[in-house]
Amino acid sequence: MDWQSSIEYITNGKHLAWYASVRFTLIAAVLGALFAVFFGLIGAGLKQSKWSGLRLIGTVYTNMLRGIPDVLFFLFLPLAFEQTVEYFLAQASCTSAELADGSTWPPCADAQWYLTTTEYLLMACVTFGIVYGAFAANVIHGAMQAVPKGQLEAAMAYGFSPKQIFWNIKVRQMWVYALPGLSNVWMLLVKATSLLSLLQIPDIVLWAERLGAANYVAFKGLIHDDWRWKYYLVLFVFYIILAYVSERFFNWLQSRAGRGMIEVR
Amino acid sequence: MDWLLNSSFVQDIPVLAKPALFNLYFALAAIPISFPFALVLALGKNSPNWLLSNFSRGYIYAFRGSPLFVQFFMFYSIALSLNQAYLKPMGIDHIVLHPLFLGPFVLTLNSAAYAAEIFYGALKNVPRGEIEAAKAVGMSGRQTFKAVTWPNMIRLAWPSYTNEVIFLFHATALVYFTLPVINEQKDLMNKAGELFEKDYALFTHYSVAALYFLIISLVLFYISNLINRRLNRHRVQKVSKLKVRPNYVR
Repeated sequence: MDWQSSIEYITNGKHLAWYASVRFTLIAAVLGALFAVFFGLIGAGLKQSKWSGLRLIGTVYTNMLRGIPDVLFFLFLPLAFEQTVEYFLAQASCTSAELADGSTWPPCADAQWYLTTTEYLLMACVTFGIVYGAFAANVIHGAMQAVPKGQLEAAMAYGFSPKQIFWNIKVRQMWVYALPGLSNVWMLLVKATSLLSLLQIPDIVLWAERLGAANYVAFKGLIHDDWRWKYYLVLFVFYIILAYVSERFFNWLQSRAGRGMIEVR
Repeated sequence: MDWLLNSSFVQDIPVLAKPALFNLYFALAAIPISFPFALVLALGKNSPNWLLSNFSRGYIYAFRGSPLFVQFFMFYSIALSLNQAYLKPMGIDHIVLHPLFLGPFVLTLNSAAYAAEIFYGALKNVPRGEIEAAKAVGMSGRQTFKAVTWPNMIRLAWPSYTNEVIFLFHATALVYFTLPVINEQKDLMNKAGELFEKDYALFTHYSVAALYFLIISLVLFYISNLINRRLNRHRVQKVSKLKVRPNYVR
């Protein structure tokens, strides 16, 4: 194959769709990270709550991933949400005989909830948020403990209310301490975005499978045998580059956030 | 008691016992090779040899920087592409392409990179004074390694290594999402998914699968704690118990 037809091949419609599907990966990573910080803040808040019940919830939430794999949650949570919605749809639209039958799910056709790619993507982002929020909660909790006590005491002496101290001092100051841990969570999240195809989202992994599969029909494009390994090799390199770029970015952020501070690593 | 024994949750427990063994097998088959390989990589990264050090560094970076999910697909497709030309003529295609071989193989490559980073960190934290003392009493490099560096390194790395093993066990959940399922050889995720498609009882099946993961993780953790106590038996201070740390360091 000469270079002209090579370029033609890698810029054909299917390949352009493959490059465009990177958007799912990036959206899931960025939106997932935002949700993770959100759930992380909630988890850290629960962990240091005054009420033991809330503390228990916080502890269970932040510890659940130590014993159970994230993939399980990644499959379970979207399905659970879908079923819950379908349950309420069924209550509203199915007959009582259909509801009592219980042999099929959903009980009647009207209660079937068809999800589009966008909805799946959003669910994936929220799931990433919940799962990696548990890690972020641990990081944020630790970082809040690392805020110098003197600052909190100073705020107290100035007559700040406990709420003000929490939001204006603790949450404001903890980011610098949380950054190294949060960058690790981000790295995990980026790697977890490869799982999007499990939720039927046509992401880069699914496209690699489609494009690399052997093709023996001329009108479908270039005739080639099983080229999947080449496509997966590209993904392998892509993720390494993504990790490298993220690492550089977090190093820069760390040095920027830590300016004027002596103790931070 | 009858309602309890007849509940689908309890009835799932024996059904998912065999699949749990597959997950356990993948992890246990990967550890014996990934452990020495990780040690070699860690020592390689620390070595003054330019080539060795950069190879280890690159390997660790590549396998820690890319998702295991993609690594599984990649190695499986590479094995498939080598099938006609090399594996079949050599008569080893049935072994190499079998998920019970390829699964632990990829897990080994992946886990070794993570463990190597842990061992490398421990290697850097071996007390300098002890190494200097060994030199001062005239120990050779080999003796120093055997008597000072090695025991210190293992002791320091052990808590993190335990976590790595537990997350290796969790990573086995990915094997059958990427490799072909042969007959009834199914792991927890597979079987839970299959049961779910039969009766849509999502909460029951997945929570039993989660329970198996949780219990096996705790057992692995307990065993590792015993080893940790043995590794630290010479120390005067009371050694704090191992803690399961979340894998945000992974």
